[in-house]
Amino acid sequence: MTLNIPPPDILLQLSLNGALGGAMYGVAAVGLSLIFGTMRLIFLAQGAMIILAAYFVRALFYGLGIDPFLSLLIVVPVGLGVGWLVYQGLFRRAAAEEDRNISLLIAVGLMFLIQNLMTVVWGGNTAAVVTSYTASGIEILGVRTSFTRSMGFLIALAGTGLVVLFLRSTLVGKAVRAASEDMEAATLMGISPHRVNAIAFAIGISLAGAAGVAVATTFPFNPFAGFIFSLKALVALALGGIGNVAGALAGGIILGLIEAYVQYFISGGWTNAIAYGVFLAVLMFKPEGLFSRPYKKA
Amino acid sequence: MLKQALPERAWTAIAIAIVAALALVPLLPGAVDSYAFSFLFFVFLYAIMAQGWNLVAGFGGQISLGNHAFFGLGAYTTAILWTGNYLWGSLYDSHPDIYYFDPVTMALGGLVAAVAAVIIGLPLLSKLRGDYFALGTLGFGEIVKVMFINGGDFTGGAFGVVAPAGTFDTLLPHYLVGLGLMAGVAVAIRLLMRSRYGLALIAVRDDEMAASANGIDVLKVKVSAFAGSAFIAGVAGSLYTYYIFHVGPDSVFDLDWMLLPLMMTVVGGTGTLIGPILGALVMYAVFDLAKIVVPDYHPVISGLTIILAMLFLPKGLMRSFGGRVRAA
Repeated sequence: MTLNIPPPDILLQLSLNGALGGAMYGVAAVGLSLIFGTMRLIFLAQGAMIILAAYFVRALFYGLGIDPFLSLLIVVPVGLGVGWLVYQGLFRRAAAEEDRNISLLIAVGLMFLIQNLMTVVWGGNTAAVVTSYTASGIEILGVRTSFTRSMGFLIALAGTGLVVLFLRSTLVGKAVRAASEDMEAATLMGISPHRVNAIAFAIGISLAGAAGVAVATTFPFNPFAGFIFSLKALVALALGGIGNVAGALAGGIILGLIEAYVQYFISGGWTNAIAYGVFLAVLMFKPEGLFSRPYKKA
Repeated sequence: MLKQALPERAWTAIAIAIVAALALVPLLPGAVDSYAFSFLFFVFLYAIMAQGWNLVAGFGGQISLGNHAFFGLGAYTTAILWTGNYLWGSLYDSHPDIYYFDPVTMALGGLVAAVAAVIIGLPLLSKLRGDYFALGTLGFGEIVKVMFINGGDFTGGAFGVVAPAGTFDTLLPHYLVGLGLMAGVAVAIRLLMRSRYGLALIAVRDDEMAASANGIDVLKVKVSAFAGSAFIAGVAGSLYTYYIFHVGPDSVFDLDWMLLPLMMTVVGGTGTLIGPILGALVMYAVFDLAKIVVPDYHPVISGLTIILAMLFLPKGLMRSFGGRVRAA
């Protein structure tokens, strides 16, 4: 196989597209990271939640004429509420059980339920949100790229930034961080596990809402597209280091870059295998993620 | 409660009687062509898969999310050996049915899966605990699927491999082999869990450090349980090949082959011997009924059932109603 080094502008174009696309995995991963942090739950329904939000955005746009990016103001608060309710209604009891299979299975059941409800309500065909600016492009660093993708990237950055700010500078955020590190010790300090779990869920699902806006404006989607998103978000999560919120976004961007390069240099068919291969390699050789120093056992 | 009411010998006798009665079902007039017959075949198939998952996750405490990969490996191994005639050479010409329910072909399906489990299990289980192992096996499943899609002529690419479907006559061998495998796996796991190895496996699940301090080779125990689980899944995949004939990446590597057995085991009771079988029967009945009664909504019902079962029966049927359940 001859490896042709492409001219720098194509390389830049590849990197930009990869990074912009990868940010969407990243924002999904930030939500997963929060939920995993406090509950040790692999929330497999995250992708289905993103697609549900995308359908919601589409309904708002075609039904009420609300601009998809403006609908962030509706989707994100609704996501907070839905996340809180999902935790209180579905996961509260399971969180107290030691057997974590139970929460995992509830997540799987929720994924089935959402996917198929979406199929019943909106049909199984591919849907898309087409606005006046869907096809327009902007120029970044002399490279032309799609406007909606760039907006998706900004949404991911802003979402992650807000979460980091919340975790760093509020007392509740501190409680969530403490619970992620050691739930038992945090409980002894007077932190209510149910409260931090519910907060993690609320933020996680509202991020799914934000990701839904980005997905709806950028890609065509169908009710079953969510699962692959959950998997990609898991890869991003592992790359960034489980429990590292900013790392999750970075992990998503790295995954996007890997996918873009593999697609260009090797072939589109191998994209997923190589993405998961990197994932396995990271799990095996650097399970604490790419961005943290190996932690020493006490 | 239930368990103490009867001595153990009586339970063994009941189990033998049920298996014997099921084995006699095909003798009933019209049974082989009935819907119930294929229903039972699928219950057996899922019960075998559930039992396999239960071995590594229920008894061993290592949550594998990659058992669909082993199912698919078993299915592909059987189909490829058969269509390529890699095993029996010229005997295949004189005996065109030689690959059909051939024990060697089926065992090789299990073996390929088990070898894959050892290769993936050694690095994953030596470094990673718990959640990382679950994530790693999930990733492994996706990698194997993509590898088979890109496997060229050998794996038939995205279309897959079609085994000679002309050998199919009735569902009778599927039913009997399925029943035999289900019973055989249950007996094998029971014997295994009563052996030294079974005690070691449970010790590793309950307290890894204490097990290791008592001289148990933790990695060896975990990897072998994972390989055993994969072997069972591989044989189940092989059995499925004889039913479906067209083995494609989207059908045999479907995540459902991992998720449904997992769910059945949890509903029936993880870490119990009868739980996976009971769970397979109950859950497959619920899904099948939903498919008939509300065809448009049946996956919705499946999702709801899982959630409700986990909310109200988190310990599973066997642990909730079976009284005090011992390890095996």
